[in-house]
Amino acid sequence: MDGNFRIVIAGGGRVGNRVAHILDDRGHDVTVVERDPERAEALSDDYVATVIEGDATRPGVLEQAGLERADVVAALTSQTGTNLAVCLLTRELAPDTQTVVRTESEPGAEFDRFVDEVIFPERAGARAAVNAIEPDVSALEDVTGTLDILEVHVADGAPVAGRSLDEVALPRGSLIVSDAAGDTLAGAETVLHAGESYLVAVEPSVVDEVLNLFGG
Amino acid sequence: MSAGERAPAAELGLLDATMIGMGAMIGAGIFVLTGLAAEIAGPAAILVFVFNGIVTAFTGLSYAELAASIPKSGGGYAFVRETFDDLPSFLMGWMLWFAYMIAGGLYALGFAPNFLELLHVYGVTAAPGQVGAIAVPLLPVSVPAAVGLALVAVALLVTVNALSTAASGSAETLFTAVKVAILVVFVAFGFLSAGGGGETSFTFQQFDPLFPAGNSAFSILPAMGLTFIAFEGYDLITTVTEEVENPRENIPRAIFYSLGATVVVYALVVVVAIGTLGAQGLADAGEAGIAQAATSFMPTGLPIIRNGGALIVFGAVFSTLTALNAVVIASSRVAFSMGREGQLLPRIGRIHHRYGTPFFAILLSAVVMLGSVVLPTESAGNVSSLFFLLSFIVVNAAVIKLRRDRPNMRRPYEMPYYPIPAVLGIALNLLLTGVLVVYLVRTDPLALALSVGWILAGVAAYYALRGRGEGAAPGSTDSSNAEAGDG
Repeated sequence: MDGNFRIVIAGGGRVGNRVAHILDDRGHDVTVVERDPERAEALSDDYVATVIEGDATRPGVLEQAGLERADVVAALTSQTGTNLAVCLLTRELAPDTQTVVRTESEPGAEFDRFVDEVIFPERAGARAAVNAIEPDVSALEDVTGTLDILEVHVADGAPVAGRSLDEVALPRGSLIVSDAAGDTLAGAETVLHAGESYLVAVEPSVVDEVLNLFGG
Repeated sequence: MSAGERAPAAELGLLDATMIGMGAMIGAGIFVLTGLAAEIAGPAAILVFVFNGIVTAFTGLSYAELAASIPKSGGGYAFVRETFDDLPSFLMGWMLWFAYMIAGGLYALGFAPNFLELLHVYGVTAAPGQVGAIAVPLLPVSVPAAVGLALVAVALLVTVNALSTAASGSAETLFTAVKVAILVVFVAFGFLSAGGGGETSFTFQQFDPLFPAGNSAFSILPAMGLTFIAFEGYDLITTVTEEVENPRENIPRAIFYSLGATVVVYALVVVVAIGTLGAQGLADAGEAGIAQAATSFMPTGLPIIRNGGALIVFGAVFSTLTALNAVVIASSRVAFSMGREGQLLPRIGRIHHRYGTPFFAILLSAVVMLGSVVLPTESAGNVSSLFFLLSFIVVNAAVIKLRRDRPNMRRPYEMPYYPIPAVLGIALNLLLTGVLVVYLVRTDPLALALSVGWILAGVAAYYALRGRGEGAAPGSTDSSNAEAGDG
């Protein structure tokens, strides 16, 4: 992941809200379009995103989110139809912008012609349920509290590219877990090669800085 | 990791944010610019600072509205970037960057004579005017002592900021508290000296006539333009917004509190300085005016500090240094955000792998800052004031444009009586810009030439960088877009 993205999220509900927080932690510019005044107010209290209050399926509202400069539009309301409408509008208004749609039903290939990515949160929910029911083995995202375990790609020309860990000062609250191959733990002599990915454990407050160091 | 870790940035409270604003506004102008204001406006210099405070209050409302609704650090540049097209936002950042760098040169130049005055008070050197050039060791040249000191100060603070993350906000709070306390002592002793009958006792006769002979009340306008730089503090508060707790309430408050407190402090200090030294005396003393006023009326024979004036002189040295530190941070942050936005070379928008600082942004700013130290103090102040005036106009315009373009955007803080304050902000800043330009044509063509030159260089740089981006080399203007396009 290089630099900071401009992301428009349609829908500041459960999913949209969490996504906005995480993207903000990672240093991206986030704009949320939310119809419900209470949710919109709560979001601006959190100070993670610029908030447009209104219905994202109305072109006049969606355009206020600055589509022409956005890298990605993620339609994350609980209504699949609404989300699809937002993505189609985006294609029309800003053809270069990537689109992500959230669906309520198990997605097939039917959306592929209209959007770039499809997400189905219930699948993650199901995994969390399995984690709770069968506690001996847990999927990774459910075991870390607020801590993130990320696979981070080192961009060409990133500040850390080609440097060993003893040359790099990572912020407190971050730890490189394993080297590129993923079969030995990282040590002082581990070199961060451009083009490779590394497993990094990181606290939310310093995600932005760590990604800056890895980004080009 | 083995190379050592760095702690993440601390959270700043309302007090910290207010102090950051006050620290920038008070440290800067009060010691360096009061002499200048007195020279042009005479005893009416007091009005200069009060009116400037009123003019900037409108811009303060605009900053408050933008900062509360756009959750981004980066100050005026970040907000304008959100609102305007590429070229206008680029120029805004470009001017602001230069204004901060030049302000750095100005504070360094203000630091030097005050530092010499401090040495003088302790009898280490002769009076500032009598210190000659210092031979530079190992080099076959000698530079004037003040310029040499200014260069050393810039180099020192740039090194500190390049090698470690900025001093935390709580340190800034302490620094500002020290500055304000020293100024309160100055004001108190100044008023106490009234009726003492001494040559430098405070007397209201110094204010009569308020406007110097032959000058109309309009003579304060150029002085207002020239000293406008003192009110850059807004932008500084909003460059750290993301580190402030509950920013949508605390940022507007911090803006208003710091402005109010700053205007009061300025007014009192200028009243005392003019009431004791007289406008002419203050003007003659230049950058060390306040310090010299203090030396003249503060008690002597105190333990350790020996001379009451030394305390104020220390305050002046301390203030100019902390203000210099603040603009080193501010200028590099503007350059850094421009680099991150792809408006300058991406390398400028990167943090250093070991120091965790925007190393290249700081280094680049340092070069210009060091260069600007050779400028005459007045020219440096003029260029900086002009660019702050221009960028404040753009910030006010950004509020109006955003209200039109994005009527549905949530604005947790809305300025009262919109659009009157924003329009007044634009009109008054334009008026001052006009007056300043006319004044510069007559008195300081160098400053004007520099300003025009920098803007032209900016336009050239903008198209050069854009040309690179449209070519085959990806990532030269906006790496994030390039990446997203591939993905």
